Amino acid sequence: MIDSLAVAANDLRRFTRNRTSILISLIILPFFFTASLGAGQGGAGTHFSATADIRMAFIDNDYSIASGRLWQTLVSSPDFHRLVQGYTEQTAIASLGRGRIYAAIVVPKGFAADLANNNTARIMLYTDDSEPGVSDQIQAALKNDIQNFNPNLEVQPLRFNTSLFPVQIIQKGTVFAGFNVGLTIVLGIVQIFAGFYEIAGGMAREREEGTYARMLLSPISIGSILFGKTIFDLLLSTLRTFIVLGFAVFVYGAKPNTDLITLLSLSLLLALVTMGLGFVVSALKVGTRAVVILEFFLVLSLFAFSGLIIDRELLQGVSHTISILLPFSYGFDALKRTILLGTPVLSLTTDLQFMVGSALLFYGLSYVMLVRSRERLST
Amino acid sequence: MPENEITTKALTKNFGKFVAVDNLNLDIKGGELFGLLGPNGAGKTTTVRMLCTLIEPSGGTAVVAGHDIREEPALVRREVGVVSDGVSLYKDLTIEENLKLLSTLYELPKNKAEKRIHELMDMFGFREKAKRLVGALSTGWAKKAMICAALLHEPKVLFLDEVTSGLDPQSAIALQDFTRNLCNEGVTVIWTTHYMGEPEKICDRIGIVFAGRLVQVGSPSELKHSVNELYTVEVVSPGLTKAQLNKVRGLADVCKVSYEEPLLRVTCEKYEGLAEEVAGALLSSGAKIRSINTKEPTLEDAFIALTGGEEEIDRFLEKSLQKK
Repeated sequence: MIDSLAVAANDLRRFTRNRTSILISLIILPFFFTASLGAGQGGAGTHFSATADIRMAFIDNDYSIASGRLWQTLVSSPDFHRLVQGYTEQTAIASLGRGRIYAAIVVPKGFAADLANNNTARIMLYTDDSEPGVSDQIQAALKNDIQNFNPNLEVQPLRFNTSLFPVQIIQKGTVFAGFNVGLTIVLGIVQIFAGFYEIAGGMAREREEGTYARMLLSPISIGSILFGKTIFDLLLSTLRTFIVLGFAVFVYGAKPNTDLITLLSLSLLLALVTMGLGFVVSALKVGTRAVVILEFFLVLSLFAFSGLIIDRELLQGVSHTISILLPFSYGFDALKRTILLGTPVLSLTTDLQFMVGSALLFYGLSYVMLVRSRERLST
Repeated sequence: MPENEITTKALTKNFGKFVAVDNLNLDIKGGELFGLLGPNGAGKTTTVRMLCTLIEPSGGTAVVAGHDIREEPALVRREVGVVSDGVSLYKDLTIEENLKLLSTLYELPKNKAEKRIHELMDMFGFREKAKRLVGALSTGWAKKAMICAALLHEPKVLFLDEVTSGLDPQSAIALQDFTRNLCNEGVTVIWTTHYMGEPEKICDRIGIVFAGRLVQVGSPSELKHSVNELYTVEVVSPGLTKAQLNKVRGLADVCKVSYEEPLLRVTCEKYEGLAEEVAGALLSSGAKIRSINTKEPTLEDAFIALTGGEEEIDRFLEKSLQKK
């Protein structure tokens, strides 16, 4: 234990000596990501329309000129600044209540034909029913805009009772008025990005400089080295959590629906999974350059498969399988559910099991690999 | 008679098909300064790395400071210090900070560690450089810092692997003197080098390693005398006739006479009076002598002879380069 603490203290001393490390790890990464996403949502509330900044999906099942014109009408309206395409009716419904979209406008097949035959054409509006006030506002805005498009058009609202689905309802205020979604993304990305580089990159540097061999020549065990480096990185991860959280709350008005201990625990658990992966990579004797390249792949895979940008429910085939296997997906999911929905952390058994299991797996694997490749890593 | 501090039995290391160390058998006594001499790629560093438990042998075994390197590697590590190119200190820490970290890793009691650190820093003249980062030290001072670190836990065996490479001559000589004193205090030192002159000056015994094999072991003097062509007289004498050369060949104890205009080379088993005899024979037959020079066999001669000649060494070095 004392030798592990010595390793941690040593890493900390070296970290405090290195201005670049401090700058990247504790300032640039947290501030850059938070500011980028924060500035992206900075315009919320400045539009006159109450529905302008509510993200909604537009699903065109008719593929007609008329439905295309309807899309043009809606996106050019001041009420629908955040109308997006790309969802199917099913995926849109699945995404309601996850904080990604709040409503789905569906143009059914036969829409153009109804208009051409002077029949009443219909479009469907699915809304997250957690905030009836907002749903009504969306409906009113939609009614108003489509009257301008064609007076024969009707809006058929379908209230979406999310309690029937395995997803929980997101409170309107926490999703749209603040920076909670941004907080989940920034916290996850920053912990993974920094944690991986600090462990895999740090170990690669130590090996290349010969200090790892120096350590192996002393009586310290591989387990103590792992433990010491983990203590140090957990300390940094804690600092980063507070920095991101402080910035998100005090600058961008995030209001997490969970307590600090839950948020910190999940953030550190995510960091632990990342550190475990970092140790596994370091046991493969990759150089510092290779670590940087791997970091890009890691972050890209996070963007693509972890539900960070695209909801996991929208992923198909191989992408969906990868997202299921990717332990970080569960970390992001747990962060979303606690920060956005206020779900008690202990009820997130699947997420927690996957994260703890992954951390144990990575640490166990890295320990075995580091012991077995002791010879390779010392030369 | 001190006991053996290092004993190896058929110690072997293979890297794939390549045999880096081949059946090494060594006995090194406590307090001995033992040199491992060989060209780059001969297996010196691999031997050191096996003995200090950084790498595992493929075959055979070794006992270092009373502990088997396979069975008790952790105990071996407590008893050895290593200075080698692949082993380094933290460049972003001062020498004192590095030593403090190592003292914890070696589980030295705090009081003892502080005393030892001060002792070493005084011994190596680090007092004025105490606050300087290791990365900011010159090559010589960085080497000294490495030696400080290797000696911190008072090891019984110290491995100095190519320790003088990159050092200026004064520092190299000072290091040699320091190492000699360490051995006088009872520390066993393994000094590996490819510089022929170094071990000849300071080592008690030298093991010549070539292509992974230990070719010969002995004191510098024993090694030099283990080759047949012992003493040589080189005479610069132009235009020697056959008769004059035969007169030299006729001298007692002369083994070999070769003449490549104008250089006459005479090798002999004895040393006393050889130059005078050769000079006398030449002058008496009317030859002119421009210069005469007596050469004692050097370790380099012994090394070349023991490793199969210069061509064999060249072939080996070429192979090593290709491997790299």
